[in-house]
Order: sequence, then structure tokens, then C-alpha cells
Amino acid sequence: MSRFFATGSDSESEESSSGDEITSKAPGTNFKQSLLLSDDEEDTKRVVRSAKDKRFEELTNLIKTIRNAMKIRDMSKCLEEFEQLCRAFLKSKNIVDKEGVPQFYIRLLADLEDYLNQLWEDKEGKKKMNKNNAKALSTLRQKIRKYNRDFETEIAAYKENPQESADEEEEKEQEDSGSSSESEDDGGEEVSAKSFLKKKPEGPSEASKFLKGAKGSGDESSSSDDDDDDDEDWGGDTEESGSESSDDEEGKSKSLATAFLKKAGTDKGSIKKVEKKKKQKKERAGELQEGEGDDEDGPWEKVKGGVPLVKEKPKMFAKGTEINIPVVVKKLNEILQARGKKGTDRAAQIELLHALAIIAGENNLGQGILVKIKFNIIASLYDYNPNLAAFMKADMWKKCLDCIDELLDILFENNNIFIGENIAEDSENLNISDQPFRVRGCVLTLVERMDEEFTKIMQNTDPHSQEYVDNLKDEGRVCGIIDRLLSYLENKGSTEEICRVYLRRIMHTYYKFDYKAHRRSLGLQGETKSEQDQEESEGEDSAVIMDRLCKFIYAKDRTDRIRTCAILCHIYHHALHSRWYQARDLMLMSHLQDNIQHADPPVQILYNRTMVQLGICAFRQGMIKDAHNALLDIQSSGRAKELLGQGLLMRNMQERNAEQEKIEKRRQVPFHMHINLELLECVYLVSAMLLEIPYMAAHEFDARRRMISKQFHHQLRVGERQPLLGPPESMREHVVAASKAMKMGDWRTCHSFIINEKMNSKVWDLFPETQRVREMLVRKIQEESLRTYLFTYSSVYDSISMQTLSEMFELEIPTVHSIISKMIINEELMASLDQPTQTVVMHRTEPTSLQNMALQLAEKLGSLVENNERIFDLKQGVYGGYFNRDQKGGYQQKQPYQRDQKGGYQQKQGGYQRGGYRNQNQSNY
Amino acid sequence: MATRKESSSSPSAPMASTGGTLDSPVKQIQIEGLVVLKIIKHYQEEGQGSEVVQGVLLGLVVEDRLEITNCFPFPQHTEDDADFDEVQYQMEMMRSLRHVNIDHLHVGWYQSTFYGSFVSRALLDSQFSYQHAIEESVVLIYDPIKTAQGSLSLKAYRLTPKLMEICKEKDFTPEGLKKASVGFENMFEEVPIVIKNSHLISVLLWDLEDKSTVSDKHELLNLSSSNHLEKSLQLLMDRVDDLNQDIVKYNTYSRNLSKQQQQKHQYLQRRQQENVQRQSRGEPPLPEEDLTKLFKPPLPPPRMDTLLIAGQVNNYCQNVKEFTSQNLGKLFMAEALQGHN
Repeated sequence: MSRFFATGSDSESEESSSGDEITSKAPGTNFKQSLLLSDDEEDTKRVVRSAKDKRFEELTNLIKTIRNAMKIRDMSKCLEEFEQLCRAFLKSKNIVDKEGVPQFYIRLLADLEDYLNQLWEDKEGKKKMNKNNAKALSTLRQKIRKYNRDFETEIAAYKENPQESADEEEEKEQEDSGSSSESEDDGGEEVSAKSFLKKKPEGPSEASKFLKGAKGSGDESSSSDDDDDDDEDWGGDTEESGSESSDDEEGKSKSLATAFLKKAGTDKGSIKKVEKKKKQKKERAGELQEGEGDDEDGPWEKVKGGVPLVKEKPKMFAKGTEINIPVVVKKLNEILQARGKKGTDRAAQIELLHALAIIAGENNLGQGILVKIKFNIIASLYDYNPNLAAFMKADMWKKCLDCIDELLDILFENNNIFIGENIAEDSENLNISDQPFRVRGCVLTLVERMDEEFTKIMQNTDPHSQEYVDNLKDEGRVCGIIDRLLSYLENKGSTEEICRVYLRRIMHTYYKFDYKAHRRSLGLQGETKSEQDQEESEGEDSAVIMDRLCKFIYAKDRTDRIRTCAILCHIYHHALHSRWYQARDLMLMSHLQDNIQHADPPVQILYNRTMVQLGICAFRQGMIKDAHNALLDIQSSGRAKELLGQGLLMRNMQERNAEQEKIEKRRQVPFHMHINLELLECVYLVSAMLLEIPYMAAHEFDARRRMISKQFHHQLRVGERQPLLGPPESMREHVVAASKAMKMGDWRTCHSFIINEKMNSKVWDLFPETQRVREMLVRKIQEESLRTYLFTYSSVYDSISMQTLSEMFELEIPTVHSIISKMIINEELMASLDQPTQTVVMHRTEPTSLQNMALQLAEKLGSLVENNERIFDLKQGVYGGYFNRDQKGGYQQKQPYQRDQKGGYQQKQGGYQRGGYRNQNQSNY
Repeated sequence: MATRKESSSSPSAPMASTGGTLDSPVKQIQIEGLVVLKIIKHYQEEGQGSEVVQGVLLGLVVEDRLEITNCFPFPQHTEDDADFDEVQYQMEMMRSLRHVNIDHLHVGWYQSTFYGSFVSRALLDSQFSYQHAIEESVVLIYDPIKTAQGSLSLKAYRLTPKLMEICKEKDFTPEGLKKASVGFENMFEEVPIVIKNSHLISVLLWDLEDKSTVSDKHELLNLSSSNHLEKSLQLLMDRVDDLNQDIVKYNTYSRNLSKQQQQKHQYLQRRQQENVQRQSRGEPPLPEEDLTKLFKPPLPPPRMDTLLIAGQVNNYCQNVKEFTSQNLGKLFMAEALQGHN
């Protein structure tokens, strides 16, 4: 490299180098070939390289870049690299201490200084330089001057006799590389040297010697097979460094450019290295039998243009190679080496693996190896997509399913295959022998991954397209695979694995309504069923399956997450099938409500789904209050869509960045698992209506009346704001209209608003037991309307006959009786029942509206006085407070009489409110 | 009707002693029966519910007595005639009346009220402009609801000179009001009213009274009063709410003010210290800066509305008090009657 400086001007040197490039092809090939030829010995002699080599290689690499930068006068780059070099040198300090400062390092320092000085004096050139470069130049110059002070003697020695020191270095290098096994070197020496000499007769002997040395070291390292990837790298790199230093030493030899070229080639991309490695391995596998011409072609192409090898027809094994297990394993490893590297054609890799599988199959290498290859094929199928967000293409997906199926086939057929994640690579047993196969890998992980891929595909398909339906058809296959795996693992897997696969199974079961079981329970079997249905219904009830799987998990699982998910799914399944009490008890027993906020978002979404399903179930069962409570949290936020993982809210778009959005998108539940949001809202609003309207009627004059459901009130207000009230259109309008009717105690209108064609098609028909739900609803409406009526109009009546009420609300007298009795007991209605005449006699102890008003006024005046006193406080400073406190106390003491009157209901109604609410209320008094 | 009016003129007379002692130019108001009838008729025909009717009073001033001899109504405003010119209408009306030889001197205006809610900014403003232009002018407030319950309610009000001053200066800040020592009690002064009829009419009334049956009178003893009370309470509550808000506003204001005072004080102290230090070092003291610029005092909330609301609340309270005391009397009477039986 120093010759650049000998020539003096940079432009000249560039010219010469470019000239070299043109002419250098032939020697390059030769050079390369010599290396390749020497590969023959690689199998026998290889040794792990020392730390020293590693360090030195690092240094030489850096030096090379610096020299490149010098060539193009890129001072800033030069400076940057130089700083790195200094650091690298410091790092290799202990090695340097042992070995002395390496010559090439000194050489660079000297050259760099010379070069910089030269540039510095060249005023013209400096002017032409851009600002950055000029600045970098001056900094670098100062730096190197300072730095070189430490190496003064060496540099002086070098300058005195550059050639000699270079030689010295050469020898040293040679020693270094050969030091680990000098004796072995001799064997290879003649061959490599000869080959080199043959191709490049004019090269000095020293060069050849060095080269051979370098090669030798490479050979040595190749002796151990297991570490071939590392060694390969080292081998390649020493070649490079070796060739470089040999160039230096050769001075004007043309091979310099060749080396450069080759070097550039290898640097350009790891593809080439990979290729080379592959090639080398292939050769090794091919065991010398490979034709000479073949051998030459390979490197030719590589050097020429860096054409990716994968484009070539993958050539597995040379003709006539005896294909046995180690060879295939080696090949497999070789292919896998490229995995995850930039520039690897993943599709081609999959092809290669497939081909390998076929070869293995053809040669009857046993199931062990086949299983191993299959594992890898599936893994590389998963790897096909570079990022996590993208989903598998349809054909890939199919291939993946097929592969897993095949794998499972093999596993089922061969009982003697052990697979496991914790089987070490070297303890694998792939040979056909009496011993069972041992293969590293985990089917469960693969299947789980497959399941995730399936979810991803569903998430990324437009739910309203035919494509979605087509994709959904694969669900059966996915379930089938999971089922097979389940039966496989039940025999072979550990408890944890079983838990995991059970959870997968549960996840595919919990949200599906079991129509067969439903029908069976209704006793409709055999009425209108096709044969297919009959076939289907032969399977176990999903409830039984769920029960079995979940109970196993409850008992055996040790990770909290799987158990939590299983519980939630179990509850969901119960709720879906209207087993309200089981679902509720399970929910209460699990205490999930207390700590669900600590769970990860997907589990929280599952929890939300479960709560919603539970609420809907409660509604179907007529437990309005429970339904309302269960749905309150989800609905009150107004973000039900987001909370259930069924879509992103638009208004949040500004708040989150693209990254978050991606994460959120990944959490979305696939469309076929969605819970109908309109149904959800309707159920919520109707339950709120059934609770809120009587409550509002009971507390008409209560100043501190609180709302049971904010959302319901919001809807009412929206309804009131309408300037023109047409017949209701949307579900919400229907509910609002019904609420208004109910407020008047008009249950018939209310009924007609809640249950009609529109609402049926929108909401009620979505329930499995539509008719029953509707009947329940009508009854609830009648009852609550009766209550509302009594609250609203009790002040008008002195007494009212239960007979009349029963006729008005079309309820049986006993029901009316029980409702009224309940109201009386709860002190909601100040009345008594007159048994003989079947009438309700009002007590008229309710405060009249005037009294109510007066109470309100008193309250308002209280706060007015308080505010006034605050002003007074401000004026009086601290002294005012004394007097005030007394006064305030007086007001507060006066309040309780209000509570005596009203407290009755508030405490009874406490069931609706949650703890927080009530506390707040009471603190007001 | 006529008899009731006659009788109601007597309760209004004692009020003369409470109001009217001030040094205002008008100490007594004498109203023609005709005017009263006309006002009542106007409301009955045009006002319904909470709508308010207004009109102009005509008359003349005799010594310290304002005699109201005639009136004419303002037409109801509707959306359609937005370009209706009130002044033009008044002038023309008065001119026409003059042509038929009726008193045409503008001496005030009248307004109906809904449950005694009349103390408002609008009333204040218009009465101010009246009183500003014609010193003697008054506003007659007619309460149709109370009248319907059996006692004619007609009251004459004038702004007190103090309030006139304030309105003139438009200084409604707390300080201004404090300086003028205006409270809600002394914003308006009530002027005693005497209803006077010509002798001929009196004779006619006597004559009619003999002929009238008793049934006309028993409304006076009606006990069902909760509706009226409720309404009053409702209105009272609304006012109290407003008052509350105003107080809160004022509260924040005074808190802000005191906070700023504190800051100002601190700032001044710091400045003083610095100056002392500088003096000791022999440097010239820092220049005085405009403190008002540094500390812009918070805008004081106008207190006039609060005053008006307070006045209104007071008014309601009076109403309720009056009403309840009357009703209590009736109740006791009823009890006594029951016991007697």
C-alpha cells in the first residue's frame, strides 16, 4: 500500500489502481484458485485462532479503510477511522504488550503522517477542500503528531528502511499465524506454495511463503468440524489480511489490485461469504471428486459480479457422493447458516430445505433426519416474513399447514422419536439404530406459532370479503392440528406442554356457540337435521371439553397467565351458553376483578370480552342489575370498541404514534370472534332503562339524586334536544322513546318501542333463545312500569285497588302484591296493604313538593351562607375562622333531618351504587 | 272588581309612612281608577303566563304629589316588527292624546310582573333613563297573580338618589358601591299610592256594592296556596343559585386580589432590599417601575347584578312572608271556626 505514497500524487495512484482492476482478473482467479485448492487440506488441519489474530485483523481492517479514505482524500472519514483505530489499538493493548507493536500499525502511522504533511503543504489543494475535510485534516494532523510521539523510534526505524520492516512484519505475521501449529505447516507448505508459484511465477518467494502461512493457518482452523462457521470466518479473514500484507511487500506486484478486488467483493455483502462458505462446504462434502472446471467456475462468478449464488439451481450433492446422515446434517447446517442474514433469499432457502428433505427421504436416512429437516422448513417458513406485522401469504400458509401435518404424521407413525427443546444439538440421535431418535425441536412452539400466524392472517383480511370466509375455512385445519398435537402431547408431553396446548384448544373453542348441544338440550334432535349434522353432533359437547381442559389447567398449570386465560375462557363459554350461575361463581371465585389491571393487554381484552359476555348472559337470564353492573365498566367509558379489541378509535389517532398503533392493531380480535357492539349497547341501555326510570321516579325531588347510568342519561338528553321527534329509527332512539313511555307508566308503548320488527332484526334475534328473552323483557317492562307508576302517581291516590293495577299492567295479582309489598318493605312506597279489600292505602307521608322545595332551598341557602363566610374569612384573615366554624357546624348539624326522611331509600338502593359512590354521598352530609 | 280596588287602596296608604320620607320630589302618587283599570285590562288581554306587558304613564306633578291620570300600552314585541320604533310610537301616541285634550305629560311607565320578579337590569336601566330625563317619573309594578288572589297589587318605585349617582357614573365595582353605601335595601324607594276616583264614580261604586252578592268575596278566604308558594320558592331558589354563583365569582376575585397584593408586597420588599444594598455599594437605586404594569389587578366583577339579585331575593322573601302571614291568619280563622262548630 505504501506504494501510493511513493508515486506521490493521489490521482496517479487511483489511475493505476483502476488500471490494475482491468488487468487483474486473471491473476485474481489464479490467486483465488490457489486458495481453493488448498481447501483440500482444510479438513485435516484447523485450529481456533487466537485473540491476537482477531485483534490484528480488526486493526488491519481499519487500516485498510483509512488507506481507502486517504486515496480519495476523504479527511473526515480518515479522521473517524483513525480514532477507531486508536481505540482498537488500545483494546488490543495486552496483546501488543506481548507481541510488540505490529509493523503494519507503525507503517500506517508513518504513512499517514507523511500523507498529511504533504496535504498540508499543498495549499492549492487545501483551498479546494470543502470545509469539513479541511477541518478534519487539521485535527487529524495534530492528533497524529501527538500520537506518533509514542512510537517515534519505531517510525524512525521504519522510515529508515521501509522494505526491511515490512519484511520483518511479514515474517512475524507468518510466525503468528503459524505459531499454533508450526509443524503441521510444513506439510501444507509445498502444495500451496507450489500452486501459488505455478500461477504467479514472478511473485517473490516471501510472498508465497507468507501466503502459504496464512493459508496454513486457515487450514489448521478447519480441522475441527464443529466450529466450522467460526473457523470459516477466520479463515477467510486471514486470507484477506494475509493477501493485503503480501501486497505491500510485493510492492509493485499486480496481485495487489487483485487482492483488493477480492477483498472488496467479500466486503460488499455477506452473501458472498455465505456463498463461499457454502461452496467450500460443498466441496468438503463432495470430497475431492469435484471436477476442476466446476471448481473454477464458482469463484469466477463470485469475483465477477457478486451474483447471488441462490439464483443458481441449488446443487445439493455432487454426483456419486455417498449420502449419509452426517453429510445431510452438515448440509442442513450449512443452509441454516444463511438464515436470518441480510440478503439471504428466504424463498430459495425453503426450496433448498425441501430438496434436502426429498433427498433424505429418497435415501432412506430414517425419520429422525426427516423430522429435523421438517422442523427447519417450518421454522424458515415462519421466518419468511421479515417483520412481525406482516402476515403469511396464502400459499406459504398452506405449505406451512401441510408441513406441520406431515410432521405430525411422522411423529404419530414413529413412536420412537423423542423431540424436545432441551435436547442439545450434539446429543441428537438421528441414526437409524435400536435407540430411539432424539431430535431437537418443539412441535408445540411451531403449532403455537402457526396459531398466531392464523390470527394474524385473519386480522389482516377484510372481514366482509369472500377471502375472509375462505381463510376462516382453514380454522378447521388449525383446530385439527391442535387436536392432533393435543393427543400426541397427552402421551408424550410434559404437564406444562399439555397446559399450553390445552390453552390453544380452549382458545379455539370458548367463543363458539355449541349449536348441537343447544339443540340437544332443547330436545330438537333429529327433527330437521341433515346427515352431516348428525355426524357433527357425535363429538363431545364443547362444554364437556372445556370443563375437562380447564380443570386440568387449574390443577396443573403453574404459570399464572395460562390459568387466567383458561378461567376467562371458561367463564366466557359458560356465559355464552347461558350457564349464568356457573359463570358468575367462577368469576367471583377467581378474584380476577381485583388484579386484572396488572395483566397484559391481551388478557385484559379477554377479560373485557368475558365481562361483556357475562353481562349479556345475565340479561338473558333476567338479572338486569347484574347485567348492568357487568357492562357498566365497558360501556361507561364509551370505548367499548377499543376495550374489546374490536377496532381502534379514530380520536386516538393523534395521541398515539405509528408504532403504538401497530401494537394495538396486533391485539385486535379477529372478526369472527367479535361481540356485536350494537347488541351490547342495546342490552346495556335497556338494563339501564329498567333500573333508572323507576329510580328517577322515586327520587324526583331529591336534590342529590345521582345517576345510575351516565350513558343512559346522556342518551335521554340527546333525545330531548331533538327539535322534532319523529318515530324512532336507531336502536338508541327506540330505547329513549321507550324510556319516555315508561316514565309515564305506559308499559304498552314502552313494550312496542323495545320489541318490534326493527329491534328484533337489530338486536333480539341475535340471541339464541330469542323468544324466551323477549318474554322476559316484556315481563320486566311490566313490572318496572308498575313501580314507576306507583312512584309517580302515588301522591295522587288515597288508595288503589290491586285489581286495577293488575289489569293495567297485565300482571297477575300475586305479582302485583309481591312488587308492592317489596316496595313497602323497602320504604320506597309509603303505603300499607289492606288485605280484605285488596287495596293499597297510601299514607301520604311523603314530603309534598312544597316541602321538598323548601328542603332544597334550605340546602342552597346553606351553601350560600358558607360561601359568604368564605368571603368574610378572607376579609378577616385568620380571626374570622373562629366564629365561622361554629356557624358552619350549626348548618351541618341541621342537615341530618333531611337524611332521616330520604336516607331510607338511599340506603336501600345502595345495591346499584358502588362503594365509592356511596362514601362520597355520605361525606356530603 | 271595583270594590276590591277600593278596599285595596287602604292597605297601600300606610306604606306612605315607610317610604316617601326621602327628599325626593315625589312623595305621593295619586292614581286615577281609570289607569288601574286600564293596566289590568292590558295585562288580561295581552299578557299570559310569565310574559310581561309594559306601557307609558301620563299625568302631572302637583307640589310633591304625582298624579297619574292616564296611560297607554306598548304593543307587544314580535319577531316580525323588529324595526318598530318605540320612541316614534310614544311621541305619536302622546300627540294624538293631546289632540283630544288628555294629559300628555310623560311621568313614568308601568310593567306587569310574574310572581314579583321584576328587579332586573332591564328595569334598572330603563327607570334610570326615565328618571334621568324626567325627574319625577316612577315605575308602576302590577302583580296580576296576587291581584287574582284577591288583593290588588300595585306598587310604585323610584330609584334612590344614591343609585342614580352610581348609575350616572357607571361605577359598579365593589369599591364604588361601598363608597356610595348602596345596599339592596336602598336601591329602590317605594312611593305610597293613593287611588282616587271622582265622586261620581264613588257614588256609582257604592251603589254597585249594595247590589253585588257575597259570593264575589269569598275568594279572599281561599286556603289552597301551595301552588303559589311553590312557584315563589322555585323562583327564589333560582335567584339563590345565581347569588351563589356571583359570590363564588367574587370570592375568587378577592382571593386573586389578595394573592396579588402579597406578590406586590414581596416584590416591593425585594426591590427595597436591593436598593439598600446598592446604596451601600454606592450605586444608584433601581428606577421605579410601573407597578400597575407588572401587576395588573384582576378585573373586579361588576356587583350591580349581585345587588339586583339580592334585591330580587329580598322581594321574593317579602312576598312569601306576606303571603304566608295572610294564609296563617286564614288558617287560624278556619281552625277557630271549626272549633266553634
